[in-house]
Amino acid sequence: MTDPSREPRALTLRVNGVDHSLAAEPCATLLDVLRDGLGLTGTKKGCDMGACGACTVLVDDRRINACLTLAAMQEGREIVTIEGLADGEDLHPMQQAFIAHDALQCGYCTPGQILSAVGLLAEGRAVDLAQVAEQMSGNLCRCGAHPNILAAIAEVAGLRA
Amino acid sequence: MNDSRSAPRLEARLKVTGQARYSAETQIPGLLHAALVTAPIARGRVTDIDASRAERLPGFVAIMTHENAAPLARAAAVLHLQGPEVRFAGEPVAVVIARSPIAARRAAAAVDVVYEAEPAATDFDLFLGEAYAPRTAGRTPTDSLRGDPEDALARARVSLDLRYETAANNHHPMEPQSVIADWGPDLLTVYTTTQAVFAHRAAIAGAFGLEVEKVRVVCEYLGGGFGAKGGAWYPGMILGIQLARHVGAPVRLELTRAQMFTLVGRRQETRQHLRLGADGDGRLTAIALDTVAPTSTYAEYADAVATTARMMYACPNVATTHRLVRLNAPQPNPMRAPGEGPGSFALESAMDELAHELQLDPLELRLRNFAVRDQNADLSWSSNGLRECYQVGAEAFGWAGRPLAPGALRDGRRTLGWGMAAVCYPVYSMASAASVALESDGGIVVRCGTQDMGTGTITVLGQLAAAILDVPLARVRVEIGDTLLPEGPYSGGSIATASFTPAVEAAARDLRTRLITLASTDPASSLLGEAQPDLVLEDGHVRSLTGNRSESLAALAGRAAPGGLEAFAQTTPDPDRPVSAFGFGAVFAEVAVDPELGEVRLKRLTAAYAAGRILNPLLARSQYVGGLIGGIGMALHEATVDDKASGRVLGDNLADYLIPVQADMPAFDVHMIHEDDPHLPGGIKGIGMLGTVGTAGAIANAVFHATGVRIRRLPIRIEDCIVQA
Ligand code: FES
Ligand code: FES
Repeated sequence: MTDPSREPRALTLRVNGVDHSLAAEPCATLLDVLRDGLGLTGTKKGCDMGACGACTVLVDDRRINACLTLAAMQEGREIVTIEGLADGEDLHPMQQAFIAHDALQCGYCTPGQILSAVGLLAEGRAVDLAQVAEQMSGNLCRCGAHPNILAAIAEVAGLRA
Repeated sequence: MNDSRSAPRLEARLKVTGQARYSAETQIPGLLHAALVTAPIARGRVTDIDASRAERLPGFVAIMTHENAAPLARAAAVLHLQGPEVRFAGEPVAVVIARSPIAARRAAAAVDVVYEAEPAATDFDLFLGEAYAPRTAGRTPTDSLRGDPEDALARARVSLDLRYETAANNHHPMEPQSVIADWGPDLLTVYTTTQAVFAHRAAIAGAFGLEVEKVRVVCEYLGGGFGAKGGAWYPGMILGIQLARHVGAPVRLELTRAQMFTLVGRRQETRQHLRLGADGDGRLTAIALDTVAPTSTYAEYADAVATTARMMYACPNVATTHRLVRLNAPQPNPMRAPGEGPGSFALESAMDELAHELQLDPLELRLRNFAVRDQNADLSWSSNGLRECYQVGAEAFGWAGRPLAPGALRDGRRTLGWGMAAVCYPVYSMASAASVALESDGGIVVRCGTQDMGTGTITVLGQLAAAILDVPLARVRVEIGDTLLPEGPYSGGSIATASFTPAVEAAARDLRTRLITLASTDPASSLLGEAQPDLVLEDGHVRSLTGNRSESLAALAGRAAPGGLEAFAQTTPDPDRPVSAFGFGAVFAEVAVDPELGEVRLKRLTAAYAAGRILNPLLARSQYVGGLIGGIGMALHEATVDDKASGRVLGDNLADYLIPVQADMPAFDVHMIHEDDPHLPGGIKGIGMLGTVGTAGAIANAVFHATGVRIRRLPIRIEDCIVQA
């Protein structure tokens, strides 16, 4: 049974500054392709339906839930995953702040939290702590690292914790 | 924190860069993918499974159902696909294996299953009359009795007769359960999300009739668990392993978030009938607690809800019972602070009600009822820092300024309320082994087959060895999460640290002795012939106390132990410890309630804990805060709701099942009270559960203090808090 809507199609995604050409079904999400297609497993799958933020990546500097977008829709855009945030051996200031404030426990929500935080700073939305808390509420954490996450973001954003 | 013990997590860099690999991310060539077909009915049987549509879809490899699944040994666990019966809505009835996760999901949706439904027991209230006594309540006896509570209640100056309810909750670690099984010619390797690699290995070996040595279980990083990756995961894990055998290739089975509501346990809901009797000064004369909870039709589990009622307060007359009702529902299991969480909500609420009745300060009432010994076990405490916790917590919170009457504190249109609760959790430990080795380059390796759920296990294992060997933590590598390592403890019930600490410390001491011996006997050593009592380990060297000669561990290893040097230790807890061991704490909450909208905002949580020796204050604080947030969820957010007619979970997703988010967070103020407990090996009590105990009670008491409305059902909902004008 052949169904053209299910036939894998050639696709080029630019992830962390590198072009990846691959074949993916039209219905494959960006999350599926990153994790299972490209082996970039730093992007986490917590719910696969847009409710937890674990799959947050940056697309053209904006936060996006990778499970809620089709890979095919992201061709030609600049995708940054957690693997691409550091500058070589030098961690991004948000990564450093997460370590220093113990803003992670199991670490499973952490890539999404960090990228979400980096994105909201880039979007100019981190005006005060209450705003940051509101904006970070789409990134669930079940271990309860919240106050440390907020402290880490506050440090990088130059807000008083 | 500038305490030198407050080292950041050793694996933090791997976690913030996305390099830490969790179970489902294990890369194996030729990996196939599985998707479950689950039953929409709560009870009945499968009469027909037609996979013909699924088989024609691209990527389809195989289907496994009860008709073609090989039978397994039943002993290990409740297993899936061993017959046509359906025992709860959401139970797997078939699994499809395909070349990609998408193909597997699509094919699973195309499997046509015919069911014969039977009348199901799905409404807890309708079956309360059929409650029975389980064999145990958690690790405690089902019932307890001391004195004559009925007589004491009849004579009590003040008596309260109260009914409390707590909701079912799901653990929901952010990482879904997964298993990848790889059947090699001589070894079955299983990469899975487990809180206990060794216990899971035993379950696998039992189910498949294998020697344990023929099974290896690996779990390097674990994305939370909270109880849902213990025994509750056996059935799903074993199903995944069976799939791999069925198709003769490695297979990955990963639960969907919706399946995590039904297939990996839940905190059971409770109905608690609690009666207190007291004299005119508030001294308890009687406690009677009768609690009922649901269990499934195919397994039995009861949370130890009555633990705190039995021992938290001094009281001569106490009776407690646990009863269960069998429902066609998913099997409950322990979830963070099992039993003590829901139980302390009722007890601590009732203490607040008693204080209000007597017009006493709730903290003063608790001090009057301080238990100088464990009357339930009839033993003295190994240590009990509860009164210091009360004092430190109350002072930090400013409790002394609390007006007695509800509704007296305001913040604009909102009313404020202050509530508190006492906290305790039993100390558990189990046997553990560990090894500590010097490598040929002078580095240290700690090996222990335990897991790190996010608790900090990797880091404290390293710190324990580094402290005894006096090497920088950066020179220590820690290996966990693999049954090829020395057998380590379960991660859960606040057991792990109390169990592995004595083993790692013993192994490290043994290695230290052997290094000193080596340094004083190696012919090429500058310390040759030195008296061993004069030699110490210091900053990566063996050093003489009598002169300034020293040997670096690297040089010593390179020369005298080129293959490295490893010390191994095995420790077992004393089964008849002549004392009763609990961690204690006190938690204080401030809420703001909007009287017209009923909205509750938690503003502050202050908590003080006395829980033995703290190995890493930075990580311990994170553990306590995490526990407190679990308690906030119980109090204000979380409820797993089964549809009473169909037995299906309503809103089985993370948008409808509310867990506390960043915007819900109060200001946290956590105090750790130093405590040396000479009775406990390593002085460790365990801290993971404490934060969750008492928190819901403190919050409910604060809501009462704000509104004058007593809410005896969790979670507290907006409609409960609208104060009628
Ligand atoms: S996995 Fe994308 S939001 Fe949860
Ligand atoms: S650190 Fe575990 S879920 Fe956030």
